[in-house]
Amino acid sequence: MSEKRKYKKRYCKYCEAKVDFMDYKEVASLRFSLSERYKIMPRRLTGNCKRHQDMITVVIKRARAAALVPYTVSRKQVVTAPFENLK
Amino acid sequence: MRHYENLVIVKPTFTAEEIQASVKAVEEVITSNGGEIAATNAMGMRKLAYPIEKNERGYYYVIYYSVAPAAIAEIERRFRINEDLLRFITIKYDSNREVKAWNELVKKANKAPEAPKAEEAPATEAPVAEAQTEEAPKAEEATEAPATEAAAE
Repeated sequence: MSEKRKYKKRYCKYCEAKVDFMDYKEVASLRFSLSERYKIMPRRLTGNCKRHQDMITVVIKRARAAALVPYTVSRKQVVTAPFENLK
Repeated sequence: MRHYENLVIVKPTFTAEEIQASVKAVEEVITSNGGEIAATNAMGMRKLAYPIEKNERGYYYVIYYSVAPAAIAEIERRFRINEDLLRFITIKYDSNREVKAWNELVKKANKAPEAPKAEEAPATEAPVAEAQTEEAPKAEEATEAPATEAAAE
């Protein structure tokens, strides 16, 4: 529930910023569409449009393969601020 | 000729010279297969999001190049044999939009002052190379997104 309330007004942030291409190496920009456990957030929660959701999905999967973003975070290997450590 | 990008992760156990040597070898593989390297970007030694072959860190190196599509299979085959690499990723830039982005990435990589290449192997904690390599053309939504998210919480 708490995750649902995070998003009030539904509009595509990427459309607003007129994003045409996403680079999988910019980890910080992927953070918006990732959950706390680094799952890809669904469109119904983020409000992303279909076009940008498709783009971000591909980009996140590339970043995962490149070990820039974790696939999952399990309870055993919790990192408090994973992106800070990555830098 | 088509535009490509290759990201390679070199083993962190190497010394700085060995890393440079293996990066050279990687570039050599591309050029020997008829590729033209447009730009390179050393992202430096950084922590991996998850261990690969029990390594916690890796040396990231990005190469932008254009090559005939048929040569990619051979390049990837050579990378797969190469034991210095923990991981490699080949990205194709095909559509007009992607080619435009590729050109911009190349321009950016060339404009950035030669990132400090010699990185002390495993011990260094905060690589200097990240500072200028991290932010890239479309960073606007990056800065905006986490802020709004934090505000809503």
